[in-house]
Amino acid sequence: MIRQQAQSADSGRIGGALVHAVLLASAALIIIPLIWLVCASLKRNEDFFTSRFLPAGSGFLGVAWERLTLDHFRSLAQLGIGRAALISVFLASVTAVVATMAAAMGGFALARLRFPGRRLAESLVLAAIIIPPTLLLAPGYQLLFQLGLLDTMAGLILPAAAPAFGVYLFRQATLSSVPPQLLEAARIDGCGDISAFFKIALPLVMPMVSAFLMITFLGTWNNFLTPQVVLQTPSNFPLAVTVAQLRGVYYQEYGLLMAGTLVSIAPLLLLFLLLQRDFISGLTSGAVKG
Amino acid sequence: MTSSRAAAPHAGAWLLIGPFLGIFALFTAYPLVRAVMLAFQQTFGPGAAHYVGWANFDFLSRDPMFWKAAKNTGVFTLGSILIQLPLSLALALLLNRPGLRGRAIYRTIFFTPALVGVVFVGMIFMLLFEKRTGLVNQALHAAIGVDLDFAWLETYIMPAMILATLWQYVGFNMVYFLAALQNVSRDLVEAATIDGAGAVGRFFHVTLPSIRPIASFVVLLSIVGSVQFFELPYVLLNGTGGPENRGLSIVMYLYQTGFQAGDLGYASAIAWVLAIVLAACTVAMRFLARGEDA
Amino acid sequence: MRTNSDGDAAAIGRIPFGPIVILVAAVASTLLLAARPAQDRHEVRMWTFARLHHQIYQQQVAEWNVAQTPRIDLSLLSLLAIEQRMLSAFLAETTVAELIEVERRNAARAFAGPLESVGFVDLTDRLKAEGLDQAINPASFSPWTTRGRIFGLPHDVHPVMLGYRADIVESAGIDVSKIETWDDFAHVLGPLMADRDADGRPRRYLLNLWETHFEVIELLLLQAGGGLFDSDGRPTLDDPINADVLVQLAVWCAGPDRIAADVPYFSASGNKLLLDGYVIASFVPDWMCNIWRNEIPQLAGKVKLMPLPAWKPGGRRTSVWGGTMLGISRTAANQEALWEFAKYLYLSPISARELYTKGDIVTPVRSLWSDPVFDQPDAYFSGQAKGRMYIELAPHVPVRHSSPFGAIAADRLQTAAISVAAYARRAPGATRAELLSEARRALAVAQADVLANVRRNSFVRADFHEEAGQ
Repeated sequence: MIRQQAQSADSGRIGGALVHAVLLASAALIIIPLIWLVCASLKRNEDFFTSRFLPAGSGFLGVAWERLTLDHFRSLAQLGIGRAALISVFLASVTAVVATMAAAMGGFALARLRFPGRRLAESLVLAAIIIPPTLLLAPGYQLLFQLGLLDTMAGLILPAAAPAFGVYLFRQATLSSVPPQLLEAARIDGCGDISAFFKIALPLVMPMVSAFLMITFLGTWNNFLTPQVVLQTPSNFPLAVTVAQLRGVYYQEYGLLMAGTLVSIAPLLLLFLLLQRDFISGLTSGAVKG
Repeated sequence: MTSSRAAAPHAGAWLLIGPFLGIFALFTAYPLVRAVMLAFQQTFGPGAAHYVGWANFDFLSRDPMFWKAAKNTGVFTLGSILIQLPLSLALALLLNRPGLRGRAIYRTIFFTPALVGVVFVGMIFMLLFEKRTGLVNQALHAAIGVDLDFAWLETYIMPAMILATLWQYVGFNMVYFLAALQNVSRDLVEAATIDGAGAVGRFFHVTLPSIRPIASFVVLLSIVGSVQFFELPYVLLNGTGGPENRGLSIVMYLYQTGFQAGDLGYASAIAWVLAIVLAACTVAMRFLARGEDA
Repeated sequence: MRTNSDGDAAAIGRIPFGPIVILVAAVASTLLLAARPAQDRHEVRMWTFARLHHQIYQQQVAEWNVAQTPRIDLSLLSLLAIEQRMLSAFLAETTVAELIEVERRNAARAFAGPLESVGFVDLTDRLKAEGLDQAINPASFSPWTTRGRIFGLPHDVHPVMLGYRADIVESAGIDVSKIETWDDFAHVLGPLMADRDADGRPRRYLLNLWETHFEVIELLLLQAGGGLFDSDGRPTLDDPINADVLVQLAVWCAGPDRIAADVPYFSASGNKLLLDGYVIASFVPDWMCNIWRNEIPQLAGKVKLMPLPAWKPGGRRTSVWGGTMLGISRTAANQEALWEFAKYLYLSPISARELYTKGDIVTPVRSLWSDPVFDQPDAYFSGQAKGRMYIELAPHVPVRHSSPFGAIAADRLQTAAISVAAYARRAPGATRAELLSEARRALAVAQADVLANVRRNSFVRADFHEEAGQ
């Protein structure tokens, strides 16, 4: 008995070490491209393809620190990366707020209210989720023109203002965390559907609000194709488009390109490292409970 | 609100669902109707359209490029699901070990790439996959000592894209599995252990059935994402299908025929086939997920 | 909104950190953007895809805006972005930038459909009336010509030479002036491949060429007299000359006496290999000189240029790679003024000089070729007067016929080239005749496929097909 226990504790320790070894190796594989990115954004063009990470030299850790440069970031500043960042923040945050509100309202109505056409609306949500966006690119573009929304921020925000996927997620969240009895009680107290949503349902689905705000923020921040088609004035370009523009047709400035990429993803990484608990729990709550 | 409720019993509900329905009608349904009409037309550049009946679908059934794109998309989707999801699940199982130290740090690291936009992933991996100077080939060279004289983005485009996507989403899917694993009942696991089930048996008889709903959700999410993949090849291959169209995806082909060759009619026909396949997958997965509840 | 305000106070305690951050970001960024000074609206937008062009034009546009109208607003966009916006606008018949500078593959996509619905203004009559069709090198018009009508003002000629590592070649005592044909090329430079590594493989190859370099393959076809389309816009992939070139390509890249290696153009890895001297010679159109100068400064004084070896003695010593046009959108107002601006920007002696001194690109305007700026020695290319060399080749640049099916044809050509090279690798002992039959088979498949795409289109049947007597 004692021997057996000792053995299993021993194998547990070995197993634990093995688990950590696998996890560390995986974490390294995940993190290396990002470290490479940071190094690449600091290298001069002539060092770019002669060294893997940082140029070798006689400095600390065998790195030629003096050959590193912040020039790419200075060029980015001159190219208006600050303005692009502001536009990214604007598009991402406003879209997130509007879309989350519309999705939460719609999801609540589908989950807990009875009204004619509810089944139809539900099917529309499911159908809208699986429609390939490319199908709508050409007719959608023509529509934006007819509405006078081409080259405007509204032309990007409005079509994304009530995402079907969000309505679906909020429907699931409402089903699992807003008890019908609570709403029934409120109704008896004379509470209307809209106040029931804001006073009872919305606070109860707050984890999903939190998560969906961030999902939309993230998705809009990283969206590339739509702003590239809809926006035409370069001073209105968000980061993804601005950075993609840095890619020359024939002439490549790798350092600049990688610096632009780093600048575009770093704020997101920082924000989400701060908020990841909300984000991840909200993200999974819909799926786990739904 | 109370008074309006009395006057029109469903006004509140309509107001709540209204924004979705309005936006849907304007920005999805209306363009969709136009897309339906397009699928039965032959268009060629601006302003020129002929009604052609089922000719687009007929050509599609015999179009070698479409089938190549369909095959590539299938390979990418299967690769994404069969390689990525088991790895995600494996990482989740490792992280779910009781008393594991540094779980939060690992989870954060694994999740980080999911925050990086596809266009940026493309920019990074475009350089990582270069023939001789790319980090991937240099690392492989250092690891196995063989001179790897091939360009990922020419010779092994699909594996390269599966790898880039694996990097991006393995942690994202892991987070879902991790959440599911935390809902697996400890009692059931202990009961199975007492019944003499080994680790493998416990996994297949207890863990897997318990995480089935979320697993099918993750599979569905992966299918929908993979079948529509477009931005990654668009950035990596500069708007082409790569050599011999080894990297041509269905949506890329749709984009090429519609926006580059000006045949929106044919592109719409492709899009409809894609939409129908996706709908079938969704129904199938919902059916599988429900199987558990029944 | 009413419910929002009275719900806020109660809910704020429950709202987690994340939503607050995003709400604050939404409000703050909206205010900041609203406070942005109103932009100086220009009357006319012009898009270009090349950073170099953007730099060169800025001064000229500023001068134009001082003295002339309409005011031009020049912006730099990536080529994919221009293509996407241009095609979206043309397909949806919406407005787009009034002046668009675009590369030939993207331009050809706009030539889809009936002539009257091409998104660019037809410049043919203007060019003829002003004698510009003669003043500009004729071959430069071909990529912008469809069914006899010209839709763009040509920016360049883009003759092609070989750029080679003069340091390596000369230290081996080799005289490249002995090279007239591709056979000479392999023969004269052959000794440079004698240096082998431990595995017995050559340390360097003679030519930067691979079956995946489809732009180079196309330029080789054109040099040899083949090509993808005839002057009626019909596909000609199955031209016997094309088959001969693909066979030679397979011999060079995949044969037992391989002389070619894959040094990818426009990539970090390619630059490194050029620097290492892994290949002796690369295809260098005039614009590529500028890329080398900027991306591989270490090669200054070590490289030289020579005309392409011909396919046959006395044959053509150059080809063409790339090409840019300036087009005026059909929806633009004030097209006469835009035409004046286009000529000012593209055809003036100052522009030609700027383009060459800053971008190494030779003007298509023949009367400007006498400018002594083209005779200046170029230190990067070991003191060669490379401008003059390109200009001497410019009249011999082959004609490329454009087609809306150009992208499909280029794609199928590449598939055929890959298939012939793969065949040569599978069967190292294959004779030329065997390779030729494989090349013919692959090109016949490609031709059939392109034709199937042409035939299924009723518009094109009317425009190209039956007109051309099929």
